[in-house]
Amino acid sequence: MVGASSRDNYANPSLDDDGLIDPDDADINDFDDPLGHQTSRQPLTGNIGSAPGGGSSSSSSRPLNQSAWTSRIPGEDRSAPQNTIDESVWETLRRDLLAVWAKMREVLYPKYLLGGTMFDADGLRGAYANIRGAGLAGAREEITGLANRFMDSEALLSQNNMTSGLRDWDLWGPLIFCLLLSLLLSFNARADQKDVVFSGVFAMVWIGEAVVTLQIKLLGGSISFAQSVCIIGYTLFPLVIAALLSALGIPTVARIPVYLFLVAWSLAAGVSILGGSGVVKNRVAIAVYPLLVFYLGLGCLCFIS
Amino acid sequence: MSGSGYDAVVDVDDDGDLGHTDLQEDLEFHNSNFNDTTPGARKAPSSGLPPPVTASTSSGKRMLWTISFYAQYFDVDTSAVLSRCWAALYPRANFLDVLEGNSDLYGPFWIATTVVLILFLGGTISQYLAQTGDHPFAYDFKLLSGAAGLIYGYTLFIPIVLYLALRYFGSESANLLECWALYGYANLIWVPVALISWSPITILNWVFVAIGFGVSVFFLLRNLYPVLSATDRQTSKILLVVVIALHMGLSLTIKILFFAHGSPVASNPDGGSGGD
Repeated sequence: MVGASSRDNYANPSLDDDGLIDPDDADINDFDDPLGHQTSRQPLTGNIGSAPGGGSSSSSSRPLNQSAWTSRIPGEDRSAPQNTIDESVWETLRRDLLAVWAKMREVLYPKYLLGGTMFDADGLRGAYANIRGAGLAGAREEITGLANRFMDSEALLSQNNMTSGLRDWDLWGPLIFCLLLSLLLSFNARADQKDVVFSGVFAMVWIGEAVVTLQIKLLGGSISFAQSVCIIGYTLFPLVIAALLSALGIPTVARIPVYLFLVAWSLAAGVSILGGSGVVKNRVAIAVYPLLVFYLGLGCLCFIS
Repeated sequence: MSGSGYDAVVDVDDDGDLGHTDLQEDLEFHNSNFNDTTPGARKAPSSGLPPPVTASTSSGKRMLWTISFYAQYFDVDTSAVLSRCWAALYPRANFLDVLEGNSDLYGPFWIATTVVLILFLGGTISQYLAQTGDHPFAYDFKLLSGAAGLIYGYTLFIPIVLYLALRYFGSESANLLECWALYGYANLIWVPVALISWSPITILNWVFVAIGFGVSVFFLLRNLYPVLSATDRQTSKILLVVVIALHMGLSLTIKILFFAHGSPVASNPDGGSGGD
């Protein structure tokens, strides 16, 4: 009884207040504003610094503006409460899955393209309301704006896409999506080639991620290798949808527009690794081309499955 | 011993008087590349600007295992790559002049990757059109690995062999990077060829593959001939014949493996080793 209540006291404040960064609870200020150039670290640091639960001797000696990726418990799950030994397995799993989900939402929304964040009034819903309100003219305006932003490599490069959630990368998402993609694609392969397709796709994804990242680094971009692999891995999600549709066997004619959209979504989300990487402007196209080949290749594999 | 001493000197004295070392030349080159958008004026002399972000070699040492060492082989920008691709498809000047002594590996690698992907797609479409019967079509994943092995292997190993042969027969001007760049950019013609030759009309496919072979072998010979003729007469002839024969082997393999419509692929799955 006593143990249970103490555990509740223990787990609750740290899980809710400081540890888990749930985008549902976050307001607009917690996300990176693509228009303003302030770093996203500011609100988050305040959060951690003012946390009541974790104040130990080590954290009080730490300066307040320490960056977001330093964890209170070095080398352990960063979004966990201090002691994870007496929580249920489901809680641990749930926290990890929530972290994957939160990161996926951050990665898959191409901020530089659509502006704002996913839950911002200026973002997707704003565009939708605009189209509904102004009819055809509004739609045309939105589309030209989109096209302009798509061609504007300056804006892509100048903004820093590395929000706080993306700074502490993990490889869970890449692993999950890579496994799902290989599995779904191997369902529809020839009976004697299922194992070859599985291992081939698995290898293709990881080697492709590594090669694409390496290519951007070789072209002068200063990106973190693992972070970029993490983001590219998370952007495989639209292709997993494509593979799922293929495994369900939707007709070929319907595949073309859907898959083109999904590949474009992946590409638009994946291009964000170039943000703030320092690739010079006249090299943006040849830095994007490897990404295009990577997504297009996997998309074609989904298409013909 | 002396080499490491050089590195240390350049490291300390960044804008020093070692103008003849390749390191200084590299810094110079980065400068001009950063500012110029025109591809023609890339080797303009240094204008005294601070080194750009891309000049990661400014930290001095170029170790074999650092990324900045390999970054010098990818030192191109978009317009340079496009003009090189155009020069490979529509050759007017010697390609080595187009390269301006700055041969890149970006083009060869990504052209090869594109060719692999498109060959796989074209081959799959060709098989799809060739299939008979009512059972659902399933693609052949081995086509992808076959294409990758063929194209990557050919582009990687044949230039090495050629370079070693040239060196052995006493050609001083042979350059491995240039050989790779030549073979890599020569692959570009296979992109349009593979895009159009998925049709089931056999004679058309032969024509397309012949065009691809003709264009790429013309490109190769035209640019390799000055290098090859540096060796003595007999050897250069033999090397020319070998180059042509190998390239013909590649073309035939592409035709048979990817645009064959049925029988030879099924009965002879081992044909992919012809290229290398």
